[in-house]
Amino acid sequence: MVIDCHAHLAHHSSATWEADDRRLIEAADKLGIDQLCCSTLTPTFWATAEGFRECNEWTAQAMERFPGRVLGCCYVNPGFSREALEEIRRCVGGRGFVGIKLYNQYVCSEPVVWPIVELAIELGVPILQHAGHSHYPNKEQPRLSDAGHVAELSRRYPEAMLICAHVCGGGDWEWTIKALRSAPGAFLDTSGSVTDEGTLEMAASVLGVDRLVFGCDMSMTAGVGKIRAARLGEREKRKILGGNLEGILRRGTRGGGRGATEGTRGEGRGSTTTRQPSTLAPPAPPLLPPSNLAPPASGLLRRRRRPC
Amino acid sequence: MLIDVNAYLGHFAFRQLRHATAAALLRLMDRKGIDKAAVSSASAIAYRNPQAGNEELAAEVRRHRDRLIPFAVINPFYAGWQDDLRICHEEFGAKGLRLYPKWHNYALADPCCLDLVNAAAERGLIVSIPIRVEDCRQRHWLCDVPDLQLTEIVPLLRACPDAQFILLNGLGYVKSPLGQKSNGLPSNYAIEISRLSALLGNELGQLLATLGAGRLVFGTGMPFNYPDPALLKLDVLEAADGDKERIRWQNAARLLDQVARHDRANQTRT
Repeated sequence: MVIDCHAHLAHHSSATWEADDRRLIEAADKLGIDQLCCSTLTPTFWATAEGFRECNEWTAQAMERFPGRVLGCCYVNPGFSREALEEIRRCVGGRGFVGIKLYNQYVCSEPVVWPIVELAIELGVPILQHAGHSHYPNKEQPRLSDAGHVAELSRRYPEAMLICAHVCGGGDWEWTIKALRSAPGAFLDTSGSVTDEGTLEMAASVLGVDRLVFGCDMSMTAGVGKIRAARLGEREKRKILGGNLEGILRRGTRGGGRGATEGTRGEGRGSTTTRQPSTLAPPAPPLLPPSNLAPPASGLLRRRRRPC
Repeated sequence: MLIDVNAYLGHFAFRQLRHATAAALLRLMDRKGIDKAAVSSASAIAYRNPQAGNEELAAEVRRHRDRLIPFAVINPFYAGWQDDLRICHEEFGAKGLRLYPKWHNYALADPCCLDLVNAAAERGLIVSIPIRVEDCRQRHWLCDVPDLQLTEIVPLLRACPDAQFILLNGLGYVKSPLGQKSNGLPSNYAIEISRLSALLGNELGQLLATLGAGRLVFGTGMPFNYPDPALLKLDVLEAADGDKERIRWQNAARLLDQVARHDRANQTRT
């Protein structure tokens, strides 16, 4: 089983969204990728509650259009605490989403993110955290998380299944790998457009292959080519390509996740353990955002996402 | 047959490169089925005097000239570049140049650069231009070097129509004049594929349609990059077998053969 842990569906404001989504599945077909963990992101980085709900609805529709191929990741902005928690319960508990996607509205170690992590633990689902580390100020993403923040969060919540996104997403990957070493509970996603030789070997050596999960983040040949190239054994590659993520996704269904029940989905290519709708999830308590959670300056609200 | 127009030897200033010796690179090439590679010095990118890197490269490839084709790194603003160019061509057997305008702090439109490119063209040498060395998001804190913009290349192509260029490590051509069908530019440039998408956006397929297979050349960027992503692009590219062969090696072989013929003609004259 080959599972891409990091993929995105097209926002429906794009005239070509349907064809773009279909092309993603076709690309997966060509590359032998069985399943893709997909989120739909808002076009601008500051996602409103209405915006991320709409995105998740489209993700759910894609799960129906491509059964067994698209696994849903629930995208939320932690700044809308109450709405975000409700949305996660709705998507994971009610619509079979397998994980949570967090972007760059907040550094992931900030307190505003903690309720999301606590709910992820409760539901037994992983969080894919957008991350990168540059040695220069990042004006476009002032609250970009890095592996150090992911490690800090992982030390605070060792039972959380945190995935640090795209080690090959353009930052200093050697720094990222070393920073994540001290957080044995955190995983590293191999995706990104950068194809620097030696990245996967260093990650495997420093973190161990059990902590690596395959992803493309839409850089399809880069994502697969890196795995193909890496001087690792076939057994190790199988773990990275899907075995490790299957283990992560199974954890939530072994009774750890209150919002999920075990089920299998046999449609499409292959099958995997996925969450089915559940009525067990209690309603989310109302949470007010901390006082330091003012959204960034308006210029940032209009800033569009760029590929990693 | 497979020819890689985008390979390197030697140490790079800001990151350890494995497979940085001729022996190691050849072993990697063997594993990946790459027959020949155009190589330049990775050290020369950051050396003040790039000729020292060219000398290291020449020593490294001396016994492997059947497979490793030396390209010289020349900085047209550094003293003695004319001598360096002559030595690299006539003594080291360089078949082309690699230019690093951003790393060496000059503009492609500077008269010195035009002098260098014209001198290379007179010698029949290929002029290759890496758009970047590494992803700029991982750049070292001491070295803030931006990517070369594709728009900066356009005037050079026009100013030096007799030169033969290969553009390395680039993408976004389809949104620039360089990737347009009727761009009014001389057809004196080829585009190397290592960073082009072959799925989803499929820039490689788009360039195949606009410029034709004769203008695309295979390259990996090894040992900076894993070679497999570039190999995989050829695997998934929807193109006729003949077009793929042109990209895999025939176009590069043709360009290198032009250099060889120019060299032979010059030797006959002298």
